Amino acid sequence: MLRMTGISKSFGAVRANRDIELIVPPRRIVGLLGENGSGKTTLMNILFGMVRPDAGSIEFDGRRLEGHTPREALVAGIGMIHQHFMLVPAMTVTENVMLGWDETGRWLHPAAVAARIQEASAAYGLDLDPDAVVASLPLGAQQRIEIIKAILRGARLLVLDEPTSSLSPPEVSSLLDVLRRLRDEGRAVIFISHKLGEILDVCDEVVVLRDGEVTGRAEVVGVSRQDLARMMVGRDVTAPLGRVSRLPGQERLVVNALTVRDAGGTIRLRGMSFSVRAGEVLALAGVDGNGQAELADVIAGLARPDSGHVFVDGADVTRGGVAARLASGLGHVPADRGTEGLVQEMTVAENLALRDFDTPPLRRGPWLDGPAIRARAVERMAEYDIRAGDAEALVATLSGGNQQKIVLARELGRHPTVLLAVQPTRGLDPGATKFVIERVLALREAGAAVLYISTELEEALAVGDRIGVLHAGRLVGLMPRADADVTRIGLMMAGALAEAPGPAALYGTSPA
Amino acid sequence: MSARPLAVSLLAVALAFAVSALLIAVAGKNPLVAYGALLQGSLGSWDRIAVALNKATPYLLTGVGVALCFRARVINIGGEGQIALGGLAAAWMAMRFPQAPAVVLPALALGAGALAGALWAGLAAVIRLRRGVHEVLVTLLLNFVGVLIVSEALQGSLGEAGAGFPQSPLLARAAWLPHLIPKTDLHVGIVLAAVTVVVAHFLLWRTPFGFRIRVLGASAPAAAYAGISPPRTFLSVMLLAGGLAGVAGAVEVLGVHYRLIEGFATGFGFNAVGIALLAALNPIAVLPAGLFFGFLETGALAMQRAVGVPSPLVAVIQGLTMVFVLSAMGLTARRRRV
Amino acid sequence: MTDAFVEFLAATVRIASPLLFAALGGILSERAGVFAVGLEGMMLAGAFAGVVATYGTGMVLAGLLASIAGGMMVAAVVAVATTRFRADQMVTGLAVNVLALGLTSFLLRGFGARGEAPTIRVTTLPSLPVPWLADLPLVGPVLFRQPALTYLAVALTVIVFVFLVRTRPGLTLRAVGENPTAVFAVGGNPARVRVIAVVAAGALAGLAGAVLSLQQVGTFTDGMTHGRGYLALAAIIVGRWMPGGALVGCLVFGAADALQLRVQAIHLPVSSYVIQMLPYIVSLAVLAGLGRTARMPAAIGAPFVRERR
Repeated sequence: MLRMTGISKSFGAVRANRDIELIVPPRRIVGLLGENGSGKTTLMNILFGMVRPDAGSIEFDGRRLEGHTPREALVAGIGMIHQHFMLVPAMTVTENVMLGWDETGRWLHPAAVAARIQEASAAYGLDLDPDAVVASLPLGAQQRIEIIKAILRGARLLVLDEPTSSLSPPEVSSLLDVLRRLRDEGRAVIFISHKLGEILDVCDEVVVLRDGEVTGRAEVVGVSRQDLARMMVGRDVTAPLGRVSRLPGQERLVVNALTVRDAGGTIRLRGMSFSVRAGEVLALAGVDGNGQAELADVIAGLARPDSGHVFVDGADVTRGGVAARLASGLGHVPADRGTEGLVQEMTVAENLALRDFDTPPLRRGPWLDGPAIRARAVERMAEYDIRAGDAEALVATLSGGNQQKIVLARELGRHPTVLLAVQPTRGLDPGATKFVIERVLALREAGAAVLYISTELEEALAVGDRIGVLHAGRLVGLMPRADADVTRIGLMMAGALAEAPGPAALYGTSPA
Repeated sequence: MSARPLAVSLLAVALAFAVSALLIAVAGKNPLVAYGALLQGSLGSWDRIAVALNKATPYLLTGVGVALCFRARVINIGGEGQIALGGLAAAWMAMRFPQAPAVVLPALALGAGALAGALWAGLAAVIRLRRGVHEVLVTLLLNFVGVLIVSEALQGSLGEAGAGFPQSPLLARAAWLPHLIPKTDLHVGIVLAAVTVVVAHFLLWRTPFGFRIRVLGASAPAAAYAGISPPRTFLSVMLLAGGLAGVAGAVEVLGVHYRLIEGFATGFGFNAVGIALLAALNPIAVLPAGLFFGFLETGALAMQRAVGVPSPLVAVIQGLTMVFVLSAMGLTARRRRV
Repeated sequence: MTDAFVEFLAATVRIASPLLFAALGGILSERAGVFAVGLEGMMLAGAFAGVVATYGTGMVLAGLLASIAGGMMVAAVVAVATTRFRADQMVTGLAVNVLALGLTSFLLRGFGARGEAPTIRVTTLPSLPVPWLADLPLVGPVLFRQPALTYLAVALTVIVFVFLVRTRPGLTLRAVGENPTAVFAVGGNPARVRVIAVVAAGALAGLAGAVLSLQQVGTFTDGMTHGRGYLALAAIIVGRWMPGGALVGCLVFGAADALQLRVQAIHLPVSSYVIQMLPYIVSLAVLAGLGRTARMPAAIGAPFVRERR
């Protein structure tokens, strides 16, 4: 059905796709496996007409697609379900489906479209209410709207880009069921992911991308996880991290009965309580959207809870804002490093001074101490191996990994007593990920308390002395690493299981 | 100022002049002759230069304030109202204490002007912060109100009875701004403006306050993360800009007209925006940009008298310059999420 | 007394109509994601073009068409600058207001000798009473003895509403204002939609200007819009970016303006200048009163950038 040959594309110096060939027959689910930055999304954008390739050809159903627009791709029968949904949050499901759908002419017929939505929803088990406003739906449902859009437009090839990144385990398995139904009907599916387990679960065939090239092709039946991992990463995956077992010290971060409601009145955090001790890492796992952002914002001082308290080293900083956190020695590595943790338009030196520009030694009377700022920049850049032209380079010119190093250098350089790290390795390549985790563990050695929030369960298990699970704003599980069981944690993440933490978990006395 | 914004500004100005030349030609006049008259009218003699420098002074003061605001992503268009009320306060002060010594009175009046302008800007800021109404609309609407307040005052206690035009009586000699160069019209305001520009430059680039402004303007999330309070910075920069505009109004009243005249502040607010843009929001660059606008305006009337080309052409040039600079800024700006 | 009150209501409707034209245009622009700060300049251009064309040809129709064209030309500058060049929408709107002010004043003086402004006079448009309905008590004089353009404004309110809510192009326009990438992903062209929306806004604002110059005073004076474009913006916000709501907002501000004129005639002991502040103060008060509850189109102000990395 689909034949892409010789596809190449460069963005400036970065070669995103190099001579890629991809063949997808009907009645197949083909997995496209690769790490972040391997070129998967670029390839699909080219297929869908959102990006033009430098070289190569695309043939769909025997017809060539060249210089085409997304509209033409849609008409030809290619349906794309993006990782970041192309929906209008303020509109209803029906209105979103009607968007760009020419079938019914100039006047809108919402009733007829709603009926068809319900029909398709029943046929494929999608469970969608046509009159619901998209913003009020959970991410899993929003994704199903995208799928229904593709189906109603008669897509014969569906492309799903990292479809499970925001889904809980039960939502994942129902999605995979839907895909199997679509395949059995005669459609073809391209399933893009970096998660080996899912690829092996649902795909018939897998194509592996690394650094813009195809590094392997195989039928799923005969291949193992290790084989795939090797093709994906190019070397044996993650060397085990050396950990020093230690007995944690006093409580440095205490969170007590935090309750947060969002602007619409929905409860996002329900009476959350836990503590983190000196010299330990508490890793909080959970699917995105279960309260992580709200928890991080409250601890960091960016938001106030509706009730509850936050204590750092015994001091109540709940209502003190970011200033109180800075004064009490809390470091914050935010989830959104590019927009929240850094100012892209400013220099490396200025960004390194972003959090304490208002205190000596960087401030001298009413002035900023330029030489001091520069000196610190030079020092940190060396210490953290930040690759930039010089300290006056704009942060926007640096890679994601280097940008994260700046954030780390700044926060860790303040010798925090407590570190809050939220998704610190998101979007980073394996080398940079390793660097970040090493530094976090080094801080732990030095006696700081680290709260590490991550959506990647494997990472949480690798880093944490204790593992906690967040679901729907509650801590539904808290256990020492030794007691961590992936199946049980998966169930907790899905909300199917909740456990009161035992004494070992609360006081974290078990060694790693 | 780094190379690229300078090139952009110069190009924008050149393009604006080119397009306007077309307009002049369409009106049946020779553009070169017209521009020549413009030049002559602004730079042709020391007298004209003095007038132009005087004209530039309020532009420099207001332009610096607006540039700082824009740096913080605060769109303050309230210059006209703030200037008008600044002038009003200065006139009131001068009329209230005419017997004060000649050094003290202008200073007092300037201070009153600054206070009035700051308060008017502060009002806009508070409405924006408390009620969420966008500052563009608030400052724009308050302009009209501010100007009408001045008109109202001129009908009442501040007005000169029997004058054919709404204006105050001539202010006491002691209140007049001293001349910088004797026997010319040039008053000390220009020195004040130049000093302000330099101070603003250091403020923006070398102080924590300036750092806060720049961070807030670049990225609101990063500012929150850095512990910078958006409302406090917003209010501070508005008060500062309002105060500068108020001083500008006071300078006009005390140095040029020697009385309060209805409509003396017309168009100043928009000019300040144009100047700030032309200067690529750099305080130091406001100096040449403001001088440019000042000379342009001064030459305009002369051009009209000499060649018959209507003086509003200058507003056309200014408007075109703004559009071109904005387009260039848009093209080169990094994609950033608000 | 009631006669004066009826007269006041009729005046309210009459004075609100230019605001309404401008507000409807502004809704189209802002719903597509482009701030309509330039309405003031578009109105002014329309006012000027309308008078000049009517004076030159002697035909009102020519004047109306010219006013539409004038508004569209100014709007085209905004459209190109903000869409093609990604210029800041608000400040560009201000820039074209300055530009339009200068250009209209310049061209006006182009007609006079030695660069002086002439006075151009045209007959103002007459009222068009609707037969039978105009004789109804109260409602008759207020609603049905209006000039033709006022009826058009009300009709357009309904048309714009139907367009936005019930047609496919309207849905697309609203979606562009909320999430242009979504529209692009289904094969639409957000940039083109925005350009069309802004130019349409210019057309409507141009008509608003025609109402001012041709219908209300019969001449053109420098800067005669005097902030009405900004009042239209306020009406849009008050009306929550819907035509019906904007109509209400325009009536409120129109009432303030009408009140101001009436009070001057009655010679109340309140200064005329203070009364003139009324529309602006009322506008500020209503906006401040509404506060943050008004939700604007999500993608407004952000330029749409095509290629993703």
